[in-house]
Amino acid sequence: MTFSIQRGIRASVVATSLLLASVLSAQEGDPFAKLENNRYAFDLILDSAAAAGLPTGPLMSKAREGIAKKVDSKRIVEVVRKLFGELRTAHAILGGVDEQELTAAAALLDAGAKPSQLELFRPRQTGRNDLTAFIVWTDFLQRNIANEEAFTAISKLWRDGADDATFQSLWTNVKGDISQGLNPGTALQNRIRETPGRASPAPGKPPEGQENQSSR
Amino acid sequence: MTDSDLHPYVEWIAREARRPVAVDPAARDRVMAAVRAEPIPVRPTSVWGRLLSPRAFTFSPVGGALLAAGLVGLGVLGATLANNRDGQSTVGHPKDAVATRLPVSSIDTVVKFVYLAPGADKVFLVGDFNGWDTTKTPLARGTDGSWTVTVPLSAGRHLYGFVVDGSWNTDPRAPLAPDDGFGHANSVKLVRRGSSL
Repeated sequence: MTFSIQRGIRASVVATSLLLASVLSAQEGDPFAKLENNRYAFDLILDSAAAAGLPTGPLMSKAREGIAKKVDSKRIVEVVRKLFGELRTAHAILGGVDEQELTAAAALLDAGAKPSQLELFRPRQTGRNDLTAFIVWTDFLQRNIANEEAFTAISKLWRDGADDATFQSLWTNVKGDISQGLNPGTALQNRIRETPGRASPAPGKPPEGQENQSSR
Repeated sequence: MTDSDLHPYVEWIAREARRPVAVDPAARDRVMAAVRAEPIPVRPTSVWGRLLSPRAFTFSPVGGALLAAGLVGLGVLGATLANNRDGQSTVGHPKDAVATRLPVSSIDTVVKFVYLAPGADKVFLVGDFNGWDTTKTPLARGTDGSWTVTVPLSAGRHLYGFVVDGSWNTDPRAPLAPDDGFGHANSVKLVRRGSSL
């Protein structure tokens, strides 16, 4: 009898430990385990995105971001669902653009741009990528430039066939003027007047943040 | 009326059970002789035979706990080495202030991040390129109060921020992303092949 009890205890210890190990391993390998009760809703959003042909990477990244920022899981799922809606809207307007452009367009909608304004960018020129234009536009909205003003400026440059360097230069100059105390809207209007439609090689210093990089 | 009246077979069974059993005094010797006559089991001599022969293992509670702890360690190690759901590799650790988080095949540009915080004790770079891990990519303190880290990035739009002594901050040198929905702002790094915004 004593032998059976000891054997039972040993077996229980080993079984419990193995169970604990498997649970710990599963949690370690599952970055979304902290979504807990909202995990099902999150998975549903991912499945819906995949079924709609939308990239799921940005949605998962947003959830990871919320977890890293120690946000309540319910709020995380709400934000992920909102992003899903913006991705779906951007996809409906722009069609088959790549994931980066689609995510930038969704961010632009989130920042306050109107879906009807995005439609301007729907007709694609071969090889053209509007990622920089979207990022600069979004930044302007975040710096309290009115959406109509920002849209007018960006769309003007876009119609003129501006390249990435032109948008980068505009962003650098406007940001600099704002930091000097100029009204954001005025800064943009001043700079857009002097910005050529197609960029010439930037005289002087390169766009900020680029001077310390090397390519592979 | 007794039970025996109702069930005559019960009385018969009881009578049989009470009858003394005659035991053959030589029975025990015969049984032991039969046991001794059985051949002694031979342990397999070949390696393959030893590996395939069944064994019985016993563990003390402490031994079982140690074994379980080892299995836990192996499980955690395996999970750490495994790729996570969105395919970002988690293999490797930051070496000094140089982070190598992305698969080499997807690295298009090496970007140097700089943050000015003379009074800070710890600064970390956190973004979608490191799975939003708040401790994975530390910046190194410079002599002029700046903190730097060099990170290989794939082409595309990356969201990030700096965690300075536990609080989230944007990069004043980079474009802003919309509010993250969680009460913080993010910065954007646009990486082209060989350049970035």
